[in-house]
Amino acid sequence: MKERIGVYICHCGGNISDYVDVAEAQRLMQDEDGVLLAKHVMFACSDATQTEMVNDIKEHNLDAIVVASCSPKLHTHTFRGVADRAGLNKYNYIQVNIREQCSWPHSDKPIDATHKAIGLIRAGIKKAALSEALESTEINATEASLVVGAGIAGMKAAIELARNGNQVYLIEKEARMGGQLRDVGTIFPTNKPGFELIDRLTQEIKSDSRITLFTETEVEKVNGSIGNFSVDVHVRMAGTNTENMTLAVGSILITTGFDHYLPKENEYGFGQSDRIITLPELKKRMSASGGIVTHNGKPVRSLAFVYCVGSRQSKGENKYCSRTCCMSATHTALLLKEKNRDMKILHLYRDIRTYGKMEILYEKSSKQGDIYLKFEEKEPPVVEVNGDNVSVKMKDYLTQKQEIEFQPDLLVLVTGSVPRSDSTDISSKFKIPIGADKFFNEVHPKLKPVETVINGVLIGGSCQGPKNISESVQSSLSAVSKMMSLIKDHRIQLDPVIARVNADACIWCGKCAEVCEFDAIKQVEYNGKQIAEINPATCKGCGICTPICPTDALDIKLFSNAEIESMIDGFMSEVKLSDGQKNEEEKPASGKKPITLKRFPEIWTRIANTMQNGHKTIPEISQELGLDTNTVTWHLMTMNKYYFVESDGMDKKDEYYYYKLKI
Amino acid sequence: MATINFEFADDIKKFGANDFDACFNCGTCTAICDLSDADNSFPRKMIRYTTLGITDEIKTSLDPWLCYYCGDCSTSCPRQADPGNLMMSLRRWLMSKYDWTGLSGLLYRHMSAYIVAFLLIVGGIAGAYLSDVFTQEEWLHYGHIFEMVAIGAIFAVILLPNLIRMWFFTVWKPTKKFNIQHHLKALGDLFLHMFTQKRSLDCEKERRDKIWYYEHLLLVFSYLSLLFTTVFLDWFSTESVYVNVFGYVVSGIIFIVTTDFVIRRIRKRNEKSKFSHPSDWFFVIWLLMMGISAFAVRVLIDTNLLENTFAVYLFHLTVLVQWALIIVPFGKWTHFLYRSFAMYFEKIKSLTAVASKKQ
Repeated sequence: MKERIGVYICHCGGNISDYVDVAEAQRLMQDEDGVLLAKHVMFACSDATQTEMVNDIKEHNLDAIVVASCSPKLHTHTFRGVADRAGLNKYNYIQVNIREQCSWPHSDKPIDATHKAIGLIRAGIKKAALSEALESTEINATEASLVVGAGIAGMKAAIELARNGNQVYLIEKEARMGGQLRDVGTIFPTNKPGFELIDRLTQEIKSDSRITLFTETEVEKVNGSIGNFSVDVHVRMAGTNTENMTLAVGSILITTGFDHYLPKENEYGFGQSDRIITLPELKKRMSASGGIVTHNGKPVRSLAFVYCVGSRQSKGENKYCSRTCCMSATHTALLLKEKNRDMKILHLYRDIRTYGKMEILYEKSSKQGDIYLKFEEKEPPVVEVNGDNVSVKMKDYLTQKQEIEFQPDLLVLVTGSVPRSDSTDISSKFKIPIGADKFFNEVHPKLKPVETVINGVLIGGSCQGPKNISESVQSSLSAVSKMMSLIKDHRIQLDPVIARVNADACIWCGKCAEVCEFDAIKQVEYNGKQIAEINPATCKGCGICTPICPTDALDIKLFSNAEIESMIDGFMSEVKLSDGQKNEEEKPASGKKPITLKRFPEIWTRIANTMQNGHKTIPEISQELGLDTNTVTWHLMTMNKYYFVESDGMDKKDEYYYYKLKI
Repeated sequence: MATINFEFADDIKKFGANDFDACFNCGTCTAICDLSDADNSFPRKMIRYTTLGITDEIKTSLDPWLCYYCGDCSTSCPRQADPGNLMMSLRRWLMSKYDWTGLSGLLYRHMSAYIVAFLLIVGGIAGAYLSDVFTQEEWLHYGHIFEMVAIGAIFAVILLPNLIRMWFFTVWKPTKKFNIQHHLKALGDLFLHMFTQKRSLDCEKERRDKIWYYEHLLLVFSYLSLLFTTVFLDWFSTESVYVNVFGYVVSGIIFIVTTDFVIRRIRKRNEKSKFSHPSDWFFVIWLLMMGISAFAVRVLIDTNLLENTFAVYLFHLTVLVQWALIIVPFGKWTHFLYRSFAMYFEKIKSLTAVASKKQ
């Protein structure tokens, strides 16, 4: 029980103090049990106040502090730093949010906001009183890393990890490295074939002794946690016997890539004619023939691309944009025109998204005489196959939806990317979640873009969602830097806010282990009985195990039942504001007593008083107050927004609204 | 259902259009055009039809003829797609479509065809002269007869059927209506536009700088006057001082104005004269040569020197025959006719539209 608590209530300039009476809160809080000192400060986060807090903690020997200011998302680290500098354990500091939870949402009811703020601060004090000093634990980490999938993202990541002195295991399901890029043909903007990049990386991988490559290898089972994973793999490399191995690694990078969408039977006539192919197929043909495209030995005179096949299906399965296909198709159009001068190229698109530097592809393609025809999802082009002929019918939006028809020699479906067919298998083995789009999901799209909910397992490249080559490499390299920082010094710092078992209360029913998504609870023997044990490396402190426990044997540190209950008690106990504050809260019952709206512009009071004897229109109010109607309208509308007044029907001439008081 | 013609975009390039490929259909050209309105919205729509090769729509449209090539669309185009030049090229293409002989298309598409045709005429006249078929008097006499016959024949055999074809494509096909009253009522517009090009003044650019407009007007009247003077008043043989002086004046004007037009086309200062198709060059140069050679022939007649400088007359005659047999029926000259008839047909169409709305 802490008994020397310091409480700091922040004005946040006026963000808080304009609505919450911080002085009143400070006055009440300093009498709370356990509180040694309470202050209200202009900006708690300012350097001066931080220094003041450090001095207070040292001078008064405070054993816990409560800061009532903004959201903990904003300044938790700031004030943990303050505690740290003053020699106080950082978990003995409690943050209370009286801005986002009080002053901002309740600006229309300042008294209520003050009530709520005082309740929350009191809850914070109760929690601080029970807070305990926590220390983060450290564990040893295995230096080696595992990279799953040897496409461009995985290959580049393996090389970078090895260059930084790590042992790397690179495993690949197929017989050769390179993934999708091997077959992609000429790539933008270098205009060199994709396999050149792959060959270069293959050389680097093969010449680096720190990388161990396993091709035709699949993951069987994954055990352990960050710093100490053991991964069972099944190797069936050509020429050798199949073999099962266990790899010990400290971190894992998943770069398993994507599959090309395969159109459904008869989707845009797919499968009905050999004149209807997908873009990856066209590219394969082009790389095989050196760019010249023929059909049954005859040159292709006209070729039409249909975009967004398998992407952006608002009613279908793949709602996302596949991101790379617009570039791929426009780039292919440029390559086609180079080698097939007389070919007429049509683009049947929904929107062209050649973002960033790739805009030049669209620019060049449109200037080389390609025809762009827009369609919408609700009116897609209709493909008919008659014998050897493929006929496309659609509406041209640029000539008032004129019905048009044409017979292309080749119809190319620009297919998007989809998660690999084995991605659910990978997901269940590594326990990494799958998003709504069925790709692997990161923790936070912006702030933790390559991390999964499993510590030490990262994702990179297009297994996470559609990405182009450079974006794939970028994400896998950012995962590499994350892996490097996780296992630096071969030690891993663990967050202490995790579950804890009360060995005396635990009866090992196993329910907690069942619900734990992170496999952090194991059965162990303790003093002759079976109890649950928490693995500090895998536990996330999510708290799902605590309500399921029939004997209340589980608690989350920093959020124990005792702490939460004391907070509720604190919040619910009565708040007695001083007399002046109370009067204001009591509304004039008859409405005859002059109204004062202390915290609002003086003109609001004057406007409110004009409506004491019944509703008024804006011209009436402005006449009575001798103000111009614009000023009255402006303030009245603001009062309306904050529920001080409300409209009350039209006047007789049907010209103006009446307004009446609502307070 | 219109079928996309993949070849058309390449074909129209032979008629002079270059950069319309770059168009992204923003419609700035249509917005900026003073002549485009709700009923006749151009040039954007025409560019789209060209890109897609929906030739039926272009063939039945009068829109290209409603444009006077002020060039506002080309200067304001964000993609430098040059809509003005495309409209000009579409007019050339339309002329080749109206022409039942198909020779216009051949000549527009291939400059070599033009040159071959010109050389054939040079060869014919040189051959006839060298084989002494005619005396000098006979040359003058038959030259005059040729003019009269050629005018009648070209009009009856080529131009009239072509105008009927144009009517069929642009009035009959889209409306499927024939109302004689509307045809008579609109006739006034035909002559108004034929001789004044009044509609071009609806362009703000033309109104601000009317020099081109007046020059063009002067040229039209001088040309028609010279035609009248030489053919019906027989300028080269006339005894009348008035007719003689009048002939000098109009042929002089033709020479001066066409010289200015040639200079404009060389300088390329405004959109109208920036892009010159071979047919444009042939038109102004031949007109210029006609003016100057007619002038010279009459001077030589008045000074009694023609007998010894008969080559000048033969030159004039060659230019005249080339003009009458190539440029008038198959070249740029028909502009004069088709544009004014386009105004006429447009008026008929709008009368018909108003009438059917009333019903």
